[in-house]
Amino acid sequence: MQSSPNMLTKFESKSSRAKGIAFHPKRPWILVSLHSSTIQLWDYRMGTLIDRFEEHDGPVRGIDFHPTQPMFVSGGDDYKIKVWNYQTRRCMFTLNGHLDYVRTVFFHHELPWILSASDDQTIRIWNWQNRSLICTMTGHNHYVMCAQFHPTEDLIASASLDQSVRIWDISGLRKKHSAPTTISFEDQMARANPGQADMFGNTDAVVKFVLEGHDRGVNWVSFHPTLPLIVSAGDDRLIKLWRMSDTKAWEVDTCRGHFQNASACLFHPHQDLILSVGEDKTIRCWDLNKRTSVQSFKRDMDRFWVIAAHPEINLFAAGHDTGVMVFKLERERPASAVYQNQLFYITKEKHVKSYDFGKNVESPPMLSLRKLGSPWVPPRTLSYNPAERAILVTSPTDGGVYELIHLPRDATGAVEPTDVKRGQGTSAVFVARNRFAVFSQGNQQVDIKDLSNATTKSIKPPVGTTDIYFGGTSCLLFITPTSVVLFDIQQKKQLAELAVSGVKYVVWSNDGLYAALLSKHNVTIVTKTLEQVSSLHETIRIKSAAWDDAGVLLYSTLNHVKYSLLNGDNGIIRTLDQTVYLVKVKGRSVYCLDRSAKPRVLDIDPTEYRFKLALVKRNYDEMLQIIKTSSLVGQSIISYLQKKGYPEIALQFVQDPQTRFELALECGNVDVAIEMARELDRPNLWTRLGAEALAHGNHQTVEMAYQKQRNFDKLSFLYLSTGDQEKLSRMAKIAEHRGDFTSRFQNAIYRGDVEDRIQMFKEVDLYPLAYLTAKSHGLTEEAESILEACGLTEDQITLSTIEEPLRVPQPIVPTFKANWPVKAAAHSSFEKALLGEVGEVDDEVAAIEFEPEEEGEVAAARDTFEDEEEDVAGWDMGDEINVEEDAEFVDVEGAEAGAGGSEADLWARNSPLAADHVAAGSFETAMQLLNRQVGAVNFAPLKPRFLEIYKGSKTYLPASAGLPPLVNYVRRTVEETDSRKVLPVIPRDLETIANVDLQEGYAAMRANKLEDGVKIFKGILHSILLNTVSSEAEVEQAKKIIATAREYILAMSIELERRSLSTDTPEGLKRSLELSAYFTIPKLEVAHRQLALMAAMKFAFANKNYSSALSFANRMLANGGSPKLLEQARKIKLQSERSPQDKIDIEFDQFAEFDICAASYTPIYGGSPSVSDPFTGAKYHEQYKGTVCRISEVTEIGAPASGLRLFVPSQY
Amino acid sequence: MDPFSAEGELINIHNAFHQGQYPAVLDFDPSALSPENQLPARVLQLRAQIALGQAAAVLADLAGADEGHPDLAAVKALAQHAAGDGAAAATLAQDLAENFPDHASVQVLAGTVLQAQGRSEEALALLAKHQGNLEAVALIVQIHLHQNRSDLALKEVQAAKRWAQDSLLVNLAESWVGLRVGGDKYQAAFYVYEELASAPSTAAPLSIVGQAVAELHLGRLPEAEAALSAALAKYPDEAEVIANAIVLNVLAGKSAEELELRLQQTHPSHPLLSKIQEKSELFDAAAAKYAPRVAA
Repeated sequence: MQSSPNMLTKFESKSSRAKGIAFHPKRPWILVSLHSSTIQLWDYRMGTLIDRFEEHDGPVRGIDFHPTQPMFVSGGDDYKIKVWNYQTRRCMFTLNGHLDYVRTVFFHHELPWILSASDDQTIRIWNWQNRSLICTMTGHNHYVMCAQFHPTEDLIASASLDQSVRIWDISGLRKKHSAPTTISFEDQMARANPGQADMFGNTDAVVKFVLEGHDRGVNWVSFHPTLPLIVSAGDDRLIKLWRMSDTKAWEVDTCRGHFQNASACLFHPHQDLILSVGEDKTIRCWDLNKRTSVQSFKRDMDRFWVIAAHPEINLFAAGHDTGVMVFKLERERPASAVYQNQLFYITKEKHVKSYDFGKNVESPPMLSLRKLGSPWVPPRTLSYNPAERAILVTSPTDGGVYELIHLPRDATGAVEPTDVKRGQGTSAVFVARNRFAVFSQGNQQVDIKDLSNATTKSIKPPVGTTDIYFGGTSCLLFITPTSVVLFDIQQKKQLAELAVSGVKYVVWSNDGLYAALLSKHNVTIVTKTLEQVSSLHETIRIKSAAWDDAGVLLYSTLNHVKYSLLNGDNGIIRTLDQTVYLVKVKGRSVYCLDRSAKPRVLDIDPTEYRFKLALVKRNYDEMLQIIKTSSLVGQSIISYLQKKGYPEIALQFVQDPQTRFELALECGNVDVAIEMARELDRPNLWTRLGAEALAHGNHQTVEMAYQKQRNFDKLSFLYLSTGDQEKLSRMAKIAEHRGDFTSRFQNAIYRGDVEDRIQMFKEVDLYPLAYLTAKSHGLTEEAESILEACGLTEDQITLSTIEEPLRVPQPIVPTFKANWPVKAAAHSSFEKALLGEVGEVDDEVAAIEFEPEEEGEVAAARDTFEDEEEDVAGWDMGDEINVEEDAEFVDVEGAEAGAGGSEADLWARNSPLAADHVAAGSFETAMQLLNRQVGAVNFAPLKPRFLEIYKGSKTYLPASAGLPPLVNYVRRTVEETDSRKVLPVIPRDLETIANVDLQEGYAAMRANKLEDGVKIFKGILHSILLNTVSSEAEVEQAKKIIATAREYILAMSIELERRSLSTDTPEGLKRSLELSAYFTIPKLEVAHRQLALMAAMKFAFANKNYSSALSFANRMLANGGSPKLLEQARKIKLQSERSPQDKIDIEFDQFAEFDICAASYTPIYGGSPSVSDPFTGAKYHEQYKGTVCRISEVTEIGAPASGLRLFVPSQY
Repeated sequence: MDPFSAEGELINIHNAFHQGQYPAVLDFDPSALSPENQLPARVLQLRAQIALGQAAAVLADLAGADEGHPDLAAVKALAQHAAGDGAAAATLAQDLAENFPDHASVQVLAGTVLQAQGRSEEALALLAKHQGNLEAVALIVQIHLHQNRSDLALKEVQAAKRWAQDSLLVNLAESWVGLRVGGDKYQAAFYVYEELASAPSTAAPLSIVGQAVAELHLGRLPEAEAALSAALAKYPDEAEVIANAIVLNVLAGKSAEELELRLQQTHPSHPLLSKIQEKSELFDAAAAKYAPRVAA
């Protein structure tokens, strides 16, 4: 008899013989009725005894929970049926009537009925609401061992030692007790006398079938939950399966195997299985369809008496001679593996599926593993190999088997896998791209196998190894009951060992730097070199774990999702209503598989652990962010902060003044403490504040605290010690006022005020003391008057020798005038960040102010671009001249014998774009192309770009030692392998140019670094001239960038020209004025054009060219923008409007449309002849035709050109 | 039994050599080996020494050795080549190729020398005589790739995979071909190099560069940058690290001048530099053919 590998015992109790068991339908509870008369209520999850009920006399055999009410029923050998309330823990009432042992009791699933079976040969139905017997079923002629309601129909099955099983129809009874319809007189009569058998044959409950087949007494009978099947267990050691129809019932088959009396049996609630227990000390599991034994479990000493199934979850309980055991038949943990954004897992149907975390979709089944292991045993683990797209699955069947299967490329359905490699082994995991390790517990050996399933290496693991896990590249983790060992496969040596017991699972962090070792109640976090980082303990079972990207471990217990930081700080994230297995954490979502192997997404609030993580990492910005954006964070966070020594941070959270006060004291922030103390105004707070402030030397606060407490003595002493005479005398006055003589005396002493002392003594009739004081201070006159008042003379008094009276010490420093230099309350960097926030806000405000302007700019920029498009309409840039394409192809000489053409040659052959030819190193052809497309003639400025592209086209892969590296060609068509379509990568794509280079150019403009600006924009032109793009839209974008660069180069060149001129001569001044006017013509971004206009306006105004200045001012105002600029424009406009005349006549018609010649910087008015540059589109006077374009420095003005090509549709 | 096979004594030193862990090869203690493996181990160590640029030391070491011994003579040829004495190396290599064409070390080392001298056909002819020598296979693959015959290289690898599927060399050779073929093969090659680079026991400039090159081909510049900058910090003078870092910087639109200067100083004859020089001249020559119709 082999013990099953799959029976998983979840709970065991020790007691006397257990005769009855009932599961609570919702809570993790079972009731166990014992032969010793006790009923126990256990929490099988926590393993605790919740309650005991001891009112029966003798063994209790029957027990059942009510499905919804907080009550249960029991029946015992004292003939009694008791109904209990487990909340009040009392027996509510007892049903008497049976005349012998009660064997079983059951509640009806909806009606208020209890069904009991007794050795008195009757079966009885009781109504527990009115506590009456409503039906007695007779017919069995021996003990009735068991009677059960059908789960849905009005049927009862009973088993008796008379060797029969009977099926009873109780529809009559239900009719009688259901809501009143028309009731006949007889019915009414019958109702009036409930429980009395009808003399003429009882119609309430009639025997429907009598099932005979057992050769000995029958001990148990159960209905199938959905099918018309019945199973019974008898002393003939047989389990019999019966089927019934409406009219008949018959024996289907017999399950043979028990070698002693079979005590009880039932159908598996969800699977096609029968479970039975017997006095042969076994639990047996049978295939319902084949009636063959699937597995069995044997106890050494104890006979089994009863078995029960949980109505919903996959749990069973069996009662035996020394207690009960709660178990499940199979592992419910679905085998799964995560790779990047995908989860691979095996469903209950043994299908392999994947789940995409990004899209949250399940794939259709990819494979069916129906043939793996035995049909009733789910696969245990799954290991995924992305390089081979293969999975390694293990099943515990037959001592462990593994299969290596390649996943199909597309999920097309649950196909049977082909080309499966399989073998024996307890565990199997991939350890490298082409290696996996198979561990066999039986012979304690680990084999490293290649993908053809051939063993390449064998390793002897440490003694007692129970499991293996991936341990980082080409390393393994060996799990033994008391330790974990890290082993390097290649060097065949042990790298590290950590004593940690009972590890069951290993979960690696996403970056592979940490691993979590999960055991039943502990999580141990280790580094990849197996050094322990932290460890934590849970009282309930830990089920699974997954790492957050930030390095926080999330783990699930039976009923919670919790987190643990690397330092071991942990907390609860949320509760769970059912057990789940975490697989991945992404932002606010936790992905997990539930027990039915369905992927689920749980929403979590990661605020708490992110906050703690930020705290640990001292990432104050992040903390600030969290504080600002998430609802705060409660008492636990505050106490956490306080405990961790961050009271000043906790202070930032707290609203409650009392807590704030405490925190403020703790971090020595007296100011806040004062504020809070004022708010609360409680004496003990002032006392504590005073003490704290005193420790700080903050005597002003101390003074206030004492004042608040009306602590006059202390105040006086404080004034004395700070040397505040004035306040001291005020204290004396107050003391006098209060009539507190002691205090007055004290103050007088502090102040050295003898008169006051004497006065006081006199007032309290202490004349001797008054006299003595006066005398000792040499106030003879006063002494005399006292004597006189007392009617005494000096002779009558004997005085001891009077010493020099004590002098009051005088404070050296007027401390009272100011506090001692107090150390400023510590501002942590966090607080600084908080304070800094204020500054940020200001910035933000400022930024908002500027925003409208920016928007205006953008809009205007858009406008300019649109203008641009119209401009280029005359320039046939986009023409496709297909004929030319062939001509542009370069002939590459055929491959020589032996050696082939390099990929670079292919590039040139595959593309008509100049950039691709450059990458191929075919500079001549590239130049030919450029010459033809844009009339390029002066290539020198392009040299850096040529070499850049060429440099970026090849990588150098070191191969055999002693030989030069292998040269490989970097493609932009990464996916492509067709040699006719491969194309080279071109550095500085359009996106980079637009987002980086262009912005640099703008920045140079803003910063007035015009030389740099010209260089940058020319660089942009050169980068685009040799480039490729991937769509027509990008072609348009490239054209716009060319135009923008052209305008900026032109504008900047004009301004640079102007700056190089001297304005001393009238000609020079005139030319300068003209140039500054032309500077405003190129289509710059509005903000930049405003700069040009501003410069031109001021320059014109300064030279009394008011008309021009006025026109610039008007244009500025029309453009809008920054108020400061506009203000100036308005001023100049006002002034200029007084005499709108130009003093110096310049060649600038503010009303005409014109272009600027990029060579001579003079206007080209509409209609006058001009030529343009084929690449940039810059305009020139006709005489410049044939020279090199001043803007691009590459192309020839007015050269015939087909237009720049950057894009070939067929390439994409 | 093949001494380089997985269970052989030489597997570790052999793998270390081909993973480019030359110092590890030199640290290896050959005295623990059985006598018949002593010589192959010594050959490997000498080759590692040459690879580390200590050809002169090797030559000195071999000065007194038995000339007739083909193993050491082959090493000598390689050392001569590495030391710059190309003519002598070629003569010796040719000599060895004629006298001991079936000797494994001769095939590999003389083949290397011949190929390095540009005599690919002779090298291939010699190497073709190998019998189950994976080093020869790898060399053949490399020569084919050098000749841009990736089809032949692929054939060679696939043939070798049939009898030595899991050998490190076959894996590497497959990756070389993969990086030439592209497409899915980039990723496969990446896995091979990543695996080598990520395990502390196999990490070496060779594997890191391989990984970075695969990343470059896959268009994953940030990852390539991470790998290369780590490699640069660790092996600042490794030619291929610098060369590929230059390529990376160019592709990422960053300045590579400093690296080029460093390469110029450390490895003036690197193909990257010579090619650039060559192309620069080509550019000037080609550009000279064009001029504007009207001089400015």
